[in-house]
Amino acid sequence: MGVALGLSLVLASCGGKSGGDSGSGDGAKSVTIAIAAEPLEYINPLNENGSPGIQVAMAMFAPLVTTDPNSGKLLNVMADSVTPDKTSQTWTIKLHPGNTFQNGQPLTAKDYVDSWNLTAQGSQAWKNNGFFSKIEGYEALNPETPEGATPKPTSVKALSGLKQVDDLTFTVKLKVPFSQFGLTLQYLGLAPLPEEIRKDPDAYKRKPIGNGPFKLAADWNAGDDIKLAKWDGYKGPLVPEASAITYRFIPNADTAYNEFLAGNLDFVDVPSTKVKTFKDDAPDKWVTSASSGANYLTIPAWDERYKNPKIRHAISMAIDRKAFADLVGLSVPAKALVSPDMDGYRADACKYCDFDVTKAKQLLAEAGGFSGPVNINYSTTSASGQVNAEAIGNMLRQNLGVEVKYTGKTGSEITELADKRKLDGLRFSGWGHDYPSIEDYLTPMFKSNGDANFAHYANPALDAVLAKGDAEPDPEKAIKLYQQAEDIALADMPLIPTFTKSNASLHSDKIEPRVSKFVGVSALWATFK
Amino acid sequence: MIRYILRRVVAAIPIGVIVTLGVYALVFAMPGDPLRELAGDKPIPAAVLAAKRAQFHLDDPFIVQYLLSMKDILTGNFGTTFAGADIADQLRLRIPVTLKLTLLANVFQWTFGLLFGIYAGFKRNGWIDRSLLLATLVLLAVPGLVAFFAAQFVFGVQLKWFPVSGVLDGFPTSYLLPSLVIGLLGFAGLARLMRTSIVETVNADFVKTARAKGLGEQRVLWRHILPNAMLPVVTFLGLDLAGMFGGAIITESIFNLPGLGQFMFQAIKLKEGGVVVLLSTLAFLSFILINLLVDLLYGILDPRVRHV
Repeated sequence: MGVALGLSLVLASCGGKSGGDSGSGDGAKSVTIAIAAEPLEYINPLNENGSPGIQVAMAMFAPLVTTDPNSGKLLNVMADSVTPDKTSQTWTIKLHPGNTFQNGQPLTAKDYVDSWNLTAQGSQAWKNNGFFSKIEGYEALNPETPEGATPKPTSVKALSGLKQVDDLTFTVKLKVPFSQFGLTLQYLGLAPLPEEIRKDPDAYKRKPIGNGPFKLAADWNAGDDIKLAKWDGYKGPLVPEASAITYRFIPNADTAYNEFLAGNLDFVDVPSTKVKTFKDDAPDKWVTSASSGANYLTIPAWDERYKNPKIRHAISMAIDRKAFADLVGLSVPAKALVSPDMDGYRADACKYCDFDVTKAKQLLAEAGGFSGPVNINYSTTSASGQVNAEAIGNMLRQNLGVEVKYTGKTGSEITELADKRKLDGLRFSGWGHDYPSIEDYLTPMFKSNGDANFAHYANPALDAVLAKGDAEPDPEKAIKLYQQAEDIALADMPLIPTFTKSNASLHSDKIEPRVSKFVGVSALWATFK
Repeated sequence: MIRYILRRVVAAIPIGVIVTLGVYALVFAMPGDPLRELAGDKPIPAAVLAAKRAQFHLDDPFIVQYLLSMKDILTGNFGTTFAGADIADQLRLRIPVTLKLTLLANVFQWTFGLLFGIYAGFKRNGWIDRSLLLATLVLLAVPGLVAFFAAQFVFGVQLKWFPVSGVLDGFPTSYLLPSLVIGLLGFAGLARLMRTSIVETVNADFVKTARAKGLGEQRVLWRHILPNAMLPVVTFLGLDLAGMFGGAIITESIFNLPGLGQFMFQAIKLKEGGVVVLLSTLAFLSFILINLLVDLLYGILDPRVRHV
């Protein structure tokens, strides 16, 4: 009795006020976008490599160049031109005149050079420090630090490869020729900071001064949503239609989804738990687009038992990619090592990725069989880790007749064990590029000692082809060389391509998100109905 | 009385050391490198890693890390989280959220629990008592995760009676739905305990004696039955309340309430030993404090356990 009474009292007292008034805002062209992450603690693109931070920074900062969402070609934003020399080792960047920061100061070459030097300084400990390792003089700012010691500021404060030529021109000299460097310049982590921030970055953590289409609309304190208003001073291309944007942080993605269904949000990404139901939950309010990135099954290069490429091919051909992609949801089978939206992607690059049990068995027999169980590692921190591992495991058991076991660990523990070459067996991995070039798949994952070389794979022949591609100024020829590298990687098969996932997002009736097959779905550049 | 309180506080110190040390050891023993968890799959430059490791003393031995954390806590020098948040700021923002949630949830839980427990205790074996007993069994069996999402979907998304999540609508509106669900899920145990306690007390000899002395029913109820029947319930309430101050991790996550529970969850996920220990210390302190209050309350309810 107490229950029913108490409940009805409470309901009566608050029934008049619905939750709907806090959402979409008043202005006709305002959008409220959910970000399923902990609230940001600062906005500084140079010290940010996570997707939530970059997403917000993208509204407030403009890159040098970007990918044209319609054509997929490179488009100048802050830059007027980006020109390599004959060897692609020294690059000259000319800025478009007339751009300013949101504090009114003109945007000059000095701002770029000084911001980049600041980030390249190891003791600054900014997350995009690694980008500058390609530039001459990086080591002088990042000396080896003994274990446990704090990196000290170096006496050298500037990269020797960065030179300001005049107010609007600077040059970048790389350690080795790199034909794709122009593409890397669209990374937002290279945005410029104005002088006042460079002098005291900590004081401006919550008071960013950008050069992009939006600025902070109000003071931004810890725990607040981020409210942005249009900044009239932005003179670059691709001006978003929205006049105001609110980013709301909702760490639990399922909660964010429910907030959208209640009508309090204009845009939300569909969490993995709702992949099967979102079309019914929000009919006519969803968009999907192939996500940029690729997913793999990684075979350790340090385990002798998997050394024979035939064993790797056998594993690959024993996987029913269609069934696996259906299990993952919103996915299609992948038979290439690079993402489908890349220039130079070949849908059937892989010769050993067709589901063929007879061939798989034959390859395994030719390799002399496999000794011991195949261990499949899965991340316990991912909702679908175990299910996916068991799906792959069952396919290997049934189609190859091998014994299979499973090990669940946290994602970071798996990475750590793999880095020490102590992980036993297969694991799942995935990669999304920082700049749209197939090179940004091949170098990090397949070059010896690459940044994201999950399998610890090394093949001098592949390294040589990559170097040739890096030194090739003609883009078409460079792509051909990179494709050769992909072929080598597919023949050795340290990573088995599995599936390409699509992203799904929900949007309110008043906006239509921009969907581009080159850069995916964007709420920032949504059009209004 | 004062001496009793002092004695309790002093006795709490070694327990506090054991609790914080134990919690720190557990976090330390968790697999995986915290900074790696922060970075995801993207590589972090060596210089950045080294600077962060030094800032958070991650290369020091376990006991040194623990002592440094305790020093920071005791000197009020909380520093920042791995992600760069000012911890003092976070506490200032988050403690009120958790307090509001806990207090409101307890109001519901106590109201439902005591009303039902007392009613059922006196009218036991009637049809209301039986059906409510059955209802409490059902409630006890519902997992919190399911109940929270279901309530959010039905009352927030579909019926729009309550905000779906967040604290934008302020107190109490934003806190009503999560508190109600916590209250409903939590009241079952309290109600059953209260009911049993009443049933036992009503049949006790001293109640019969009171009646035999010719005391009125009201006086018997308020002066003899209730104070005695409340004893086990007060203990339960104390433990329960203190437990909630640690932060309702699942509730805060689902209803996006930026309280201590979410902070704790994030800190455990990132293996931030310092933050976990700080939050455990806070929970421990509130636990000690509330239990001290409970013990003092005992003395008021029951003359046999008066403290000197």
